[in-house]
Amino acid sequence: MMVILFKIALLLSFGMFFVPKKFKYILGLVLHLVLLVSSTSWAWYVLNNSTLTIDLGITTWSGPIKLVIDPLSAYFMLIINLICFCGMLYASGYLKPYLPKKRSVFISLHLFSFLWLHGAMLLVVSMQDGIAFLLAWELMSLFSFILVIFEAQKESTLKTGINYLLQMHLGFALIMLGFLIAANQTGELSFAGVNKFFSLSSNTPLFLVFFAGFGIKAGFIPFHSWLPRAHPAAPSHVSGVMSGVMIKMGIYGIFRVSSLLQQDLQSIGIIVLTAGIVSGLLGVIMAIMQHDLKKLLAYHSIENIGIIGIGIGVGILGKANGETYLMILGWGGALLHTLNHALFKSLLFFTAGNVFYATHKINMDHLGGLAKNMRYTSGAFLIGALAISGIPPFNGFISEFLIYNGIINHMSDSAFTSSIFSVVSILSLVLIGGLCIYCFTKAFGLSFLGTRRAEHSAPVVEVPAIMLVPAFILILCMLAIGLAPVFFVNQVVIVLQNLTQTSLTIEPLLYSLRSISHVNIALIIVIITIAGLRAWQQSLVKVAKGPTWGCGYTAGDFRHQYTPTSYADSLRELTDPLIEYHRDYKSFEESEIFPPPKSFHTENKDLVEEKTILSWVHLIVNHLPKAGIAQSGLINHYLIYPMLFLMLIGFLIIINVL
Amino acid sequence: MLALILILVSAVYFPGVIVKTKAIFSGRKGPGILQPWYDIFRLLKKGSVYSTSSSFVFQIGAPIYLATVIVAALFIPFEENNSIISFSGDFVLFAYLLGLGRFMIIVSALDVSSGFEGMGANREAFYSMLMEPAFFILLGSLAMFTGYTSFHDIFANLHYNSYFSFIIAVIAGYVLANITLVETSRLPVDDPLTHLELTMVHEVMVLDHSGFDLGIIKIANNLKFILFSTLSANCLIPQSMELWVRVSVFLIMQVFFAAGIGWLESFRARNKMAMNAQYILSINAVALILIFVAMIIKNKI
Repeated sequence: MMVILFKIALLLSFGMFFVPKKFKYILGLVLHLVLLVSSTSWAWYVLNNSTLTIDLGITTWSGPIKLVIDPLSAYFMLIINLICFCGMLYASGYLKPYLPKKRSVFISLHLFSFLWLHGAMLLVVSMQDGIAFLLAWELMSLFSFILVIFEAQKESTLKTGINYLLQMHLGFALIMLGFLIAANQTGELSFAGVNKFFSLSSNTPLFLVFFAGFGIKAGFIPFHSWLPRAHPAAPSHVSGVMSGVMIKMGIYGIFRVSSLLQQDLQSIGIIVLTAGIVSGLLGVIMAIMQHDLKKLLAYHSIENIGIIGIGIGVGILGKANGETYLMILGWGGALLHTLNHALFKSLLFFTAGNVFYATHKINMDHLGGLAKNMRYTSGAFLIGALAISGIPPFNGFISEFLIYNGIINHMSDSAFTSSIFSVVSILSLVLIGGLCIYCFTKAFGLSFLGTRRAEHSAPVVEVPAIMLVPAFILILCMLAIGLAPVFFVNQVVIVLQNLTQTSLTIEPLLYSLRSISHVNIALIIVIITIAGLRAWQQSLVKVAKGPTWGCGYTAGDFRHQYTPTSYADSLRELTDPLIEYHRDYKSFEESEIFPPPKSFHTENKDLVEEKTILSWVHLIVNHLPKAGIAQSGLINHYLIYPMLFLMLIGFLIIINVL
Repeated sequence: MLALILILVSAVYFPGVIVKTKAIFSGRKGPGILQPWYDIFRLLKKGSVYSTSSSFVFQIGAPIYLATVIVAALFIPFEENNSIISFSGDFVLFAYLLGLGRFMIIVSALDVSSGFEGMGANREAFYSMLMEPAFFILLGSLAMFTGYTSFHDIFANLHYNSYFSFIIAVIAGYVLANITLVETSRLPVDDPLTHLELTMVHEVMVLDHSGFDLGIIKIANNLKFILFSTLSANCLIPQSMELWVRVSVFLIMQVFFAAGIGWLESFRARNKMAMNAQYILSINAVALILIFVAMIIKNKI
């Protein structure tokens, strides 16, 4: 029954191109709901019972396509459904200004791709067969490409989109290569084949191929360069869904593959851990340097992928040493952080979208003072900022706590190298947390607080209520995880139990989690009490408004506030070798009696991208023109080329190579 | 429960002792021991002036700051006497709770759109980011040394293990004392009495808070001070003594700690602002030494 609904929804999506413009959105929402209901019912069944296999009734040359939903798939399905649904709700408001401007077919294409992105992601997490998995993966990349280039009339957006498409296909090629290597030896092009391969021969090379392939999607450094370009270019509901769940498909792949690993666990664990630490630290340092709010959030996705990577690495190390408790805490933390990041990152992108909707600006240099006009949006952004910094009583803390707890428990009875890695991971987690607070006090404080930094053409007003509904849903989920972590951790443990085929006990952890939820509740009660006391006190005394204290200087204005550049400056001095920082400024000369207007411009380049990718590209681009010698434009030269080719073939045959 | 009572008792005289010591060293008679608290109560009764550029964030900042410190106080044990909340990994929650308070106080400083307060906010965010690792390395190495992962278990077992625990305890106490100075913005990182806004950290962030808000921020600062000094006292007081001896040692130790801060602030100049990062990183380095000492004692190296 649900299968038929699922298929009908995907079929009916083509109807999007034929219905009138104003019904398109409604059709899209209904189809999303159908996908949501059918897949949620499967996922719910799987989490409470056992693995479900559904025949889609479509046969390819490699056999019938089957949905195999195990608890891991179910878990990711639920995340996908929640975020896609919120994204679709958000789109109704965000797309409204575009409706009269865009041609009908573009709107249909956009909504169609959004629906199919949802569908394709559901397929990705439920395909065990290699061909079907790659097909779903490709669908996901293609439709997200169409979504990114929604504003293709801008040349920069189109360029970004093509960059994105190319990088995704590099990842696709690597994943395909991984499957083919496994199939070559075992004869099975599927995850089962990969499993067999792992039991037969060395695990590290094949894992690295998969890790690079999935890592491009997930955005591990140095495979991250598409993220900070594509997210700002895409409309906000798309960036929310892409950052919230689509990059998590990479994490899903890494999870799936690392659960199959059988040998070399120690070295693989260290590799993943290192990748996680590097991504986490560099991601957040780069984020602090940004001026563009959405670009800042995109770099934060890299940072959070890094945290997830640390969790996965710790889990693999736990498995390597036979410490199941460490494995649960590492993998459990990573899985829970996947959900948490999906929640707060889409919340942050949606609220950043609200800012853009209301002000048509996204550069923090031009924002400020929005909290007075957009109370709900700024409140939601504040909650997202607290949650992403891992601050209680919100959800980000719970998953980071799992990882911390695992590492700290592991420290006292491990060997020297293992202890060193524990210390390094704790250090980097703490630094990431501290930098995250630094970054989000900047992002929130400079865009929403203080006084406006630039003139706005129209008065800033709060966005329509429908654009706040998804934020509200997401905040409720975040609070639920923060206040009742035991329920969610239990679900994660069910997933892990099935994935590792071992029975796991987490009694000591549950005690900690219960205490955390008590503390969180106590914290909220204490805050409310103090706020109540304060309100009572304020009702008794005189409360006045006045100008900000200027330390004796009375002509202060908005230009005296901190800017994104100056706020990041103290960190920049410390991390100078890691970031390429350019500053355009000519100081006043003594001879300039009537100086012309001066400008000041700073810019940061992504050093990893420059050194690992662009330097090679520049090398190739610089040397390719030399090949132009061959293109002489003379027909007799062109006739020589096939002759030479034939001679080469003949020569190779003579020396028995061909 | 005993820990909480001790924290509250020492909170009564702690700020007064600092002020008194400084007064004596500068040749004045100084106010009574309870004067800082009288000042706070006077603030709590006063009216407030809010900046025209501030929003709702400014209104919720100070109450949340105090609430986090109060809840964090429930985590602090007094050696083997139970704290109110104790579980495996509780110090992570402790640090992140203080992080919530810090976050809110930083954004409320940014809310008034003053360049000075932005400066203070930026420095607070930067220094605490650098300071946080030292705290975690410290607790991590204590956890490695004792084999336990909660404040209570760590401090209850710190002194049982061996004679080596004395080395660990002294280094840990030293690092914690330094963390206290940075976290509560005292000399040598920040001079609370300086009258130049350009060189302040914490005080410049709360320039625009007045009345009740300023009062609760001051309460929170004083409490935070006691939390950290209680932690260092936990490292240093040996457990072989009777309970009443330990309690009195603790109370006297707090007096000495407060007097030590007063002494430090009377005779030492504040660091150059640009040197603060280096100073904080050096505390981290000492904490790293601690972890290697713990590894050597546990025969890991």
